[in-house]
Amino acid sequence: MLQRFSTLSIYGYLATVSFLMFLVSSCQNQEKLTEEEAELLFAHEVYPLLQEKCFACHGDKPDEIEGDFNIHTLESALAGGESGRTALAPGSAEKSLIYEAITWENPEFEMPPKENDRLTGEQITLVKQWIDAGAPWPEDERRTYLVENTEWTYSDGIKVKTSPALSATWQNRRYKPEDLWGFQPVQDYKVPEDYLTESEHPVDAFIQRKLEEHNIELAPLADKQTLVRRATFDLTGLPPTPEEVEMFVNDNSPDAYEKLIERLLASPRYGERWGRHWLDVVRYADTDGYSNDFERPNAWRYRDYVIRSFNEDKPYNQFIREQIAGDEINPADPEMLVAVGYLRMGPWEHTGMSVAAETRQLFLDDVTNSVGETFIAIPLRCASCHDHKFDPIPTRDYYRIQASFAPVQFADREASYLPSENKEGFKTGKARLERLIDEAEQVQKAIYEKEEAAARRWMAQRGLNYVPRNERRKLPDDQKPPRYIGLSDQDLGYRKVLQKRLQVLRHQLGRYEPLAYSVYNGPVVDNPRSGRAMTIPDSINSETQSTFILTGGSVYATDEEVTPGVLSAIRTFTEELESPIQDSIPDTRDGRRLALANWLSSAENPLTTRSIVNRIWQYHFGQGIAGNASNFGVMGKKPTHPELLDWLTNYFIDHDWSFKEMHRLIMTSDTYRRSSTHPEAKDVNVIDPNNHYLAYFSPRRLTAEELRDAMLAVSGELNTQMGGLPIKPEINREVAMQPRHIMGSIAPAYQPSRTPEERNRRTIYSYHYRGLPNPMLEVFNQPNSDLSCEQRIASTVTPQVFTLFNGQDSYNRALAMAQRLNEERSDLKSQIERAMELAWNRPAEAKEVKASADFVAKMVEYHEENEPIDPKYPVKIERTMFEEMTGEEFSYTERLDVYENYVADVAPSEVSPETRALADLCRVLFNANEFVYVY
Amino acid sequence: MKKNRLDHIQRLLNQKAAATLNRRDFLYGLGASLGTVAFSSMLSNPALAKGTNNGPLAPRQPMLPAKAKACIFLMMEGGPSHIDTFDPKPKLHELHMQKFTRQGENFSAMSSGNRYYVESPFKTRKVGQSGVDMSEHFVHLADVADDICFYRGAQAESVNHPTAMYHINTGNKFGGEPGIGAWVTYGLGTENENLPAFIVLPEVAYPQGGASNWSNGFLPAYYQGTPLRSVGSPILDIQPPPGVSRYHQRESLDLLSTFNEAHAKRHSAHDDLAARMESYELAFRMQMEVPDIIEIEQEDEKTKELYGVGEETTDAFGRKCLLARRLIEQGVRFVQIYSGGWDSHDYLARAHGSLIRSVDKPIAGLIKDLKRRGMLDETLIVWCGEFGRSPDNGVREGGVAYGRDHNPNAMAMWFAGGGVKAGHTIGATDEIGESAVDVVHPLQDVHVTLLRLLGLDDNKLTYFHGGRYKQLSQIGGKVIDELFA
Repeated sequence: MLQRFSTLSIYGYLATVSFLMFLVSSCQNQEKLTEEEAELLFAHEVYPLLQEKCFACHGDKPDEIEGDFNIHTLESALAGGESGRTALAPGSAEKSLIYEAITWENPEFEMPPKENDRLTGEQITLVKQWIDAGAPWPEDERRTYLVENTEWTYSDGIKVKTSPALSATWQNRRYKPEDLWGFQPVQDYKVPEDYLTESEHPVDAFIQRKLEEHNIELAPLADKQTLVRRATFDLTGLPPTPEEVEMFVNDNSPDAYEKLIERLLASPRYGERWGRHWLDVVRYADTDGYSNDFERPNAWRYRDYVIRSFNEDKPYNQFIREQIAGDEINPADPEMLVAVGYLRMGPWEHTGMSVAAETRQLFLDDVTNSVGETFIAIPLRCASCHDHKFDPIPTRDYYRIQASFAPVQFADREASYLPSENKEGFKTGKARLERLIDEAEQVQKAIYEKEEAAARRWMAQRGLNYVPRNERRKLPDDQKPPRYIGLSDQDLGYRKVLQKRLQVLRHQLGRYEPLAYSVYNGPVVDNPRSGRAMTIPDSINSETQSTFILTGGSVYATDEEVTPGVLSAIRTFTEELESPIQDSIPDTRDGRRLALANWLSSAENPLTTRSIVNRIWQYHFGQGIAGNASNFGVMGKKPTHPELLDWLTNYFIDHDWSFKEMHRLIMTSDTYRRSSTHPEAKDVNVIDPNNHYLAYFSPRRLTAEELRDAMLAVSGELNTQMGGLPIKPEINREVAMQPRHIMGSIAPAYQPSRTPEERNRRTIYSYHYRGLPNPMLEVFNQPNSDLSCEQRIASTVTPQVFTLFNGQDSYNRALAMAQRLNEERSDLKSQIERAMELAWNRPAEAKEVKASADFVAKMVEYHEENEPIDPKYPVKIERTMFEEMTGEEFSYTERLDVYENYVADVAPSEVSPETRALADLCRVLFNANEFVYVY
Repeated sequence: MKKNRLDHIQRLLNQKAAATLNRRDFLYGLGASLGTVAFSSMLSNPALAKGTNNGPLAPRQPMLPAKAKACIFLMMEGGPSHIDTFDPKPKLHELHMQKFTRQGENFSAMSSGNRYYVESPFKTRKVGQSGVDMSEHFVHLADVADDICFYRGAQAESVNHPTAMYHINTGNKFGGEPGIGAWVTYGLGTENENLPAFIVLPEVAYPQGGASNWSNGFLPAYYQGTPLRSVGSPILDIQPPPGVSRYHQRESLDLLSTFNEAHAKRHSAHDDLAARMESYELAFRMQMEVPDIIEIEQEDEKTKELYGVGEETTDAFGRKCLLARRLIEQGVRFVQIYSGGWDSHDYLARAHGSLIRSVDKPIAGLIKDLKRRGMLDETLIVWCGEFGRSPDNGVREGGVAYGRDHNPNAMAMWFAGGGVKAGHTIGATDEIGESAVDVVHPLQDVHVTLLRLLGLDDNKLTYFHGGRYKQLSQIGGKVIDELFA
């Protein structure tokens, strides 16, 4: 058999072989490939596949051969492995264990074993073809010759020109063009005029075409009540008031709906809702995360910048440039310094326990990946260790993009407040912190003096002169007292707690300084530390950190140095355009990020432009046209309506990258206005179970923030003040008091803001700890801020019931709502009707009113017999801690100063049994599906 | 013509790919990233409406044969010293207080300055028939030494607590990913849907990194670890606010279901509604069952004594171990118990001494109790910290400190119960305990092994997220065969 190969002549005439023909013939009548064909197939396709998928475990390391099976050579492949079965039966794939293994049809033999490495159906067929044709396996020399001297195409796979890859096999690999849809230039599709519907809306035409292709009937349009609730939640994250519902329902003018949208877009609540979407993607939080979870005292200014940008309808290309390179654009503009805080949104910490070079690399990797995910919908992290497994992104591109951030250093930069920024609470907040610092310093001083008194005695007894603690450290052991002399275990432990407390409090003072959580360009800062303000050094020398390809992503394994660059594949696709995308990045220290930002925000960048349009669409409909809003790569879901996506993208660019124009366009379509109830729901579900084709409007559950905000709005308590320092709503008290370890101590208790006015602000303004999520929001799927969230999920789990049905917060809202009803309506029936209009945005039905009235009556009886129990607010808490130094427990008292003159929400005992009974009803309304879902 | 043929072939290939994908997708719900997907069949399934098993937490067959069906993970937060527990280093007695220079790349501020060797303050002896090493403070654990498989070859990567904690607990150093318990319940479901499938018994103070240590990460929320708190309400808000009685509660629920039923009729095609309605009834049942299950006072005195419940040093941890047994007995799949404060940079003798005494009797009690109930074979017990400790220490506050710094190169770890090679010590560290040198494996292999002991294949237990199939070990790993019976 081997001999057969050696007798083959080199066929130089095979300049071009279209492998397509082989596949065609063989699929039709099982005709085998000729030996020559199969040999070429092996050289060009099968061998690289074995190399990529099998060699690592079956041949590369002779001492570690998995399953005793080596597939490096034909002989060893034929010899098989420990299973004893025939691994390779030339001429019959069906009899070859290799083939069985790659099909994953036998759970005992599934190769390659990892889901991510699994062969595609196409690759499996190639291997089958090769084996069935006799599994020719030319010697290395001949194989190399064939690869170099024959042209090879098969199927419609395309090669993509990129910067040099780590491996040659990778460089030569082919992609299905449809897999790279996101990388290809946005096409200029025309509206399919034939499908225009009554609405004459371009979006509807694209949708209609797909529906007709799949033979799906449309649902009717939603009624006005449904529509006003849908649009209001969608654009503002709040329910409409009963008056707003009435106004819209009774407005019979032809442009009533357009007016509604204009009113909502003009509302400042719009930026709070759509800004939240953006904060999900960039992972906004008010703290660092990790072990200390230190505050970021000025991060809120970035949050407000985002909200402002949405309300001002800032063009998206400008929004990109400001966040990537604001400081390079105009360092004198405070807004620009705040915007660039985006680069630091990920979790970050550096302590005495961490290795500086590693922490630095963590930041660089984080920002590189984040830029990919956020702006071009391509998570880049996969390419940090190896050329990207699926996408045309060589590792070199990853580090070239990273090089744009090599000059970035952290700083809390002076940035005066804009007139519009909310500085409320600065004075009282600062005074409070100073008082707390002073108190802690007093206690600290007392412990210090106790130690020094003992030290003084010790030294006096030995006839030594007293030397203060810091100065005596370096003295020899016999001339200084033992460490911590005179201190009890209690003192020892508390001393550390105070030290940490002071560090936390002093750091928080930064809240009241006009600083931006920002960056500058400079050489690497030796030892940046978490938990203290970082300033720009007085003089910045011209050094810039070099960027290297890191082998396996390890900071200790530097390979070749690279210069700044972008995704090289994009250029390849735009080269045929009149104006190919500009993608050169200077390697000067300044200007790298601006150039990168210009590339990202270029109208020719198909990933950026499609990605944001897709995100907008997703937030309106609950699913994107492409199903993974942050992954347009090969593994991401493909667009259901690619032509619509491109058409919308062009529309977006033509309309100055305006979000509000997109909302106007999308929301005026009939597609957006469809009812969520389909008369033929069962049939539609069979054809389109996930409603990809939008025959009806998919209902959605309110997000965590909407749920809380809506309760506040309905109870009449919502304070719509905008921006400023984060506020703290009441959270489950046990969680608030729950001790949380921070390095060497316990974090201060969570104390809510003092007054209801502060607490009852919108949720986007609440303090977002990485280490202490608000349990009520968390349970309703508020994402954690460590990973970027492309889309909220809405799972139904039992703890949601506990929080919404048993929790204090929803009960307090219900009580406030009952009071509101008392004030606004005088008889029970009108109160119930009003309650349903408020909560459900529709008139109550008679039987609902009756059931509610009966319930309230029963509850009144109950409350008349049972004394209410008011919540109590603790003014101090005992903390017990295990002191790692002594191995003993010690205790201390933490004072909860905010509760000392706390203005509580209304308590049950302050209202009548009737009001309490009405509150019980309100609580039921909050829990009802009709409140929780939007249709 | 050519184009048509091409399409035809492409279709064939696609069908093939689809067929091979479907089986697994069906089994493990790959790509079902939205909770609604998992629930989409709920309305049509009457069994589910009664709260019996059929949802995303329904019990599933293990992928591979395995003895252990449940896992109790004893997490010693802070980094227990292998040298002072199960891996004695007599050589350190010779080197005690001699100067030491730390070498290697992973320099943190901690490893700089004057350093010196530190001997163990504890005596060690051989215990059990198998004669394994144990520090003198493990008095009760010695009784069950032959039920334990000690492992000395594990290596962590991070020298920093939160990243090391995330690494051992989630497989990823940076947090945000699913905890081991989340992966296990994703793979095996649970035997009792009236209880959370993955339960955490934390210290009163949460560990560094907080709840991210038992997060569901990108897995659906059903798989999230639920902390049962030892103080206060065991599950948050499981009881209504003070002053709300069960009667009150029932009446409210009845009114709620009246509203919800009428609403569901108007939106009959909206599947989520039924799931949400059912969750209220399930919550009501849990509200009644949970307090009962966690009430360990129901246990007889002898059992409580076995765990050291009621004794000052062991009461807190003993209660958690006893509760873990009760939970496993009720069908909970994965229980993780925390013991905190093992970070002994100083005062090693006092700190490690009292910590060992606080967990010794409870853990021994747990093993004995499981054994006499015939449950040990079906339960996997894991004991470890996030890293080990160094054979040397640095000067603290100007003076010599008898403690140890962090050490990712060697650590203490053992397994007991279903499927492990009990009564053996596997692997070895060098003569000072600086680094593992025999049967050395990174944490990802420990994770793969742990899953394997529970009948799960790390390479198959995947979830599609962020463009790739994610797995606990991140990039795959090797089963540590030596640990298997």
